[in-house]
Amino acid sequence: MMSDTTPSIGRWFAELARRQYFWGIVAIVVLLLINVLKDPTYLSISVSPTTGNLVGNLIDILRAAAPIMLIAVGMCLVVATGGIDLSVGSVMVVSGAVSMEFLHSASGSVGDAFLAFGLAVLISAVLGTVNGVLVAVVGLQPFISTLFIMLAGRGLAKVITGGQNTAATNDSFRWLANGYVFGIPVVFILALLVVIAVGVLVRRSALGLMIEAIGMDPKAARLAGVNRRGLLFTVYIFSAVLAGIAGVFGTASVMTVDVSRTGYQLELDAILAVVIGGTSLAGGKFNITGAVVGALLIATLDKTVVFLGVSSSATPAFKAIVIVVLCLLQSERVRQVFRQRRASRPHTPQKEVIPA
Amino acid sequence: MSATRRFTQVLGLAAAGALAFGLAGCSGGASAAGGGDDELTTVGFVAVGPEGAWREANEANIQDTFTKEAGFDLKYAPATNLDQKSQIDAFTSFVDEGVDVILLSATEGSGWEDSLERAQEAEIPVILIDRGIEPDDTDLYVTRIAPDNNEVSQGVADWAVGAFPDGANYFVLEGPAGVSVVNERNEGWDEVIGSEPSFVKVGAQTANWSTEEAKSVFETVLKSNNNDIQVVFAQNDEMGLGAIQAVEEAGLVPGVDVKIATIDGTKAALEALADNKLSFVAEYNPLFGETALDVVNKVLDGESVDSYIIVPSETFDSPEAAAEALPDRKF
Repeated sequence: MMSDTTPSIGRWFAELARRQYFWGIVAIVVLLLINVLKDPTYLSISVSPTTGNLVGNLIDILRAAAPIMLIAVGMCLVVATGGIDLSVGSVMVVSGAVSMEFLHSASGSVGDAFLAFGLAVLISAVLGTVNGVLVAVVGLQPFISTLFIMLAGRGLAKVITGGQNTAATNDSFRWLANGYVFGIPVVFILALLVVIAVGVLVRRSALGLMIEAIGMDPKAARLAGVNRRGLLFTVYIFSAVLAGIAGVFGTASVMTVDVSRTGYQLELDAILAVVIGGTSLAGGKFNITGAVVGALLIATLDKTVVFLGVSSSATPAFKAIVIVVLCLLQSERVRQVFRQRRASRPHTPQKEVIPA
Repeated sequence: MSATRRFTQVLGLAAAGALAFGLAGCSGGASAAGGGDDELTTVGFVAVGPEGAWREANEANIQDTFTKEAGFDLKYAPATNLDQKSQIDAFTSFVDEGVDVILLSATEGSGWEDSLERAQEAEIPVILIDRGIEPDDTDLYVTRIAPDNNEVSQGVADWAVGAFPDGANYFVLEGPAGVSVVNERNEGWDEVIGSEPSFVKVGAQTANWSTEEAKSVFETVLKSNNNDIQVVFAQNDEMGLGAIQAVEEAGLVPGVDVKIATIDGTKAALEALADNKLSFVAEYNPLFGETALDVVNKVLDGESVDSYIIVPSETFDSPEAAAEALPDRKF
């Protein structure tokens, strides 16, 4: 039994180590270890005596990772087509603004929560369609088209809420972000389900291949009969809808939409998660598992900064260093340099021996 | 074929432009008011824009005070997403336009020297509204009108000392690093708490004035300290409201296990105080349009004014006080 499983685990590990997101997993483990060094009980998960839910830092990380996972997966698909979606953060705030503004005037019933969720997803899909039109029909650069929605979206959110941060109360809506099922946060379960659904959809059908095809070579893809326009629409709408759900999660956690802060600069987190996960920004390939690893890493990093008590002014630098080191480790060229150095090491001590 | 393609591209751009204009029109508000009337005093207001209820009340109050009826043409220029660069651009264009007075609420304290010197060369007086600049060179502006952050946060610290005679572990939820308000609120707090050895600082973190971030930060802080925190000093109301939710989620009772004090005094915070969830709210009075109007008139008449004009503020230390103040709270 043992002899049977060990080699397969070894093979599985070797396989994993070859993946681009391997270093992302390493980084998460290292960060967690640093936290454990500060507090040995960091990883412990206990059952809250009052609520019966799981409580612990890891649970917090999962909850914080949920919105980033969603936007990272959307971004992943867009990037695979050779595009980029800078509007996800703004779509989040619009979706949050719509749902809060609706709940603010509605009663606190479950039906209203569903309606608010539906409205948020709907308006996100509309914004995604605008992106799709600009990119696929008008033929603008994805960078410019989505930049336009990024700026306009935040303006739109301000118009929707009248420039105010709007708060509302609705227990079912709040449950989405703060509730638990079997002790596990609902947000994480929902995000995971959505991600798995997307993953299965694109990888079990030809959709993923076709998305990669237009990212690799649009002309060849067209000659092969791939419907470029339709696919671009699909990925931009996908990305926006996922961002919309992320926006709902973000605002539902505190039941307040902050027009200048909700989703602010989260597009950068999404791009980062995608890159950490080994999806090339040049397009043509994508890795959804990698994007999820990237999102988990970003959430872990955010939580670590707070847990270690890194001072506010040093926080951006701390994060930047972690990410730069990670990207360097992932870079084939840097690894090559290390390999060469290791190979040439036996010669150096000999040289030092001679003068002595 | 290329002609039709070009046409669709142009059409798309035009549609995009129209949409952008529409949105700008909605959010721009008063900035579109043109000149023409020579009798009106033109005032350029380089503002912060949407940031929270406090800012909303403050800027609306200024806009309502400097009206055409009062003899002013106020040009309101809010920053785009709290970006300092957009403020500097607005400031420069006000100088180039040659407005009579500039009111400035800086999103960030540093980096204003060049712009302020330009205004000085053009002989346009600059009055700082609320936010100060760093380094605080009083030669570069006429006066700063603001409630005193230092004094307000000292008030919070005094309350903390009174509420915990035997000392406590405290945590500070700060605004973004580098903003003058944050530095001043820290200084005021530290001046009082620093001389109380029984108060132990567990840490300080920025939550960028945001409820969502404050909740996420504070849930982790509670875990890293085994819930052993008695006082939270939230430097604005929004962050305090986020801290309440983190405390509740940790199975503790806000106001009993963890007492949270905030600065600003918005309606939402007073409601939370009335519900016993916050323990102390120090008002940071946003309604000083009248004072600003007086100062502008004096400056234009050539009178001298103090380099710092303090706006008086109140504090609320009990649910009853909050409940009493709630009905006529304007912000």
